[in-house]
Amino acid sequence: MGKFLLFVLLLVFHMRLMALQLDEERAMHLVFELKHAVNRAVHAAAQQTDPHLLSMGIRAIDEARAEAVFHEYLQANLHLDGTGRPAPGSPLREPVDVVAFDVINADRSFPCRYRNEEHQLDVTFYGPGVVAVIRAEYPRTYRFIGPVRWTVKGAAELLAGG
Amino acid sequence: MKQILVFILFSSILCWMMFAPVYRHVAILRQALLQKEADYLLEVGASGRYGYIDANMIDESRRRLESRGFDPALLEYDVGATDGTDAANPERPVPRGTGIRLVISYPYGNLFVLDRLIGLEPVPGEARMSAGGVKMSEYVPGM
Repeated sequence: MGKFLLFVLLLVFHMRLMALQLDEERAMHLVFELKHAVNRAVHAAAQQTDPHLLSMGIRAIDEARAEAVFHEYLQANLHLDGTGRPAPGSPLREPVDVVAFDVINADRSFPCRYRNEEHQLDVTFYGPGVVAVIRAEYPRTYRFIGPVRWTVKGAAELLAGG
Repeated sequence: MKQILVFILFSSILCWMMFAPVYRHVAILRQALLQKEADYLLEVGASGRYGYIDANMIDESRRRLESRGFDPALLEYDVGATDGTDAANPERPVPRGTGIRLVISYPYGNLFVLDRLIGLEPVPGEARMSAGGVKMSEYVPGM
């Protein structure tokens, strides 16, 4: 009987460790995936040159188009629907919140230091650019780890030559 | 008789307990390797120098993944542009403003076959894990 009890206890302990390891490992890979999705989205947004201002020789970002393209690329990379909720095939379970989206446009003087105290973001821009911060929650498989919420930040500049 | 039954039950649980986490770890790792490879191909392919992901790049990528233990024949690459054109043609790179989409997939194979030991229905072998992304091309013609 003693051996049986020991076996069951060992089983529970082992399963717990295994579940913890599995979740932590998945979480680590997922945070990279989120970061790359944000990077690609701000990168695409920062390439939206304003054609009207460009014809006057000013390289500036079309803010409305930048925001639309940012959402489009974030949704495509994380498989979200139009409202930020996960669609089938998404690695997430909870909706993604875009908590900050700012365009640093050509009317500033560069280098421009962008600061956001709320999200502890500090970026120096040498040209027009885009910053964005999203919040996402890790979809836990087991309840052994506490809820994991990430704030993922990204910034990109308008590329030279564009 | 009872002891034999208990032995069979416990040994299968023990076997599953020891090896199932290893195979789950392999599945996560393969998925992560596919994702890293997709990130790398997109980063290079969407850069201002290329603007495409052609068959050569895919061959090199297959070799890189082969050195990580993948079977190159089972890897599937799906490359396309967001406007529906072909993104694998080096003669006609995807211009700036259009995205390049890439999905790499690989079958799970019999990674979860051990789950049968404790009565779980394993993930079917033909099911595929996939990784990918969309990145806007930086290619500007004539630069």
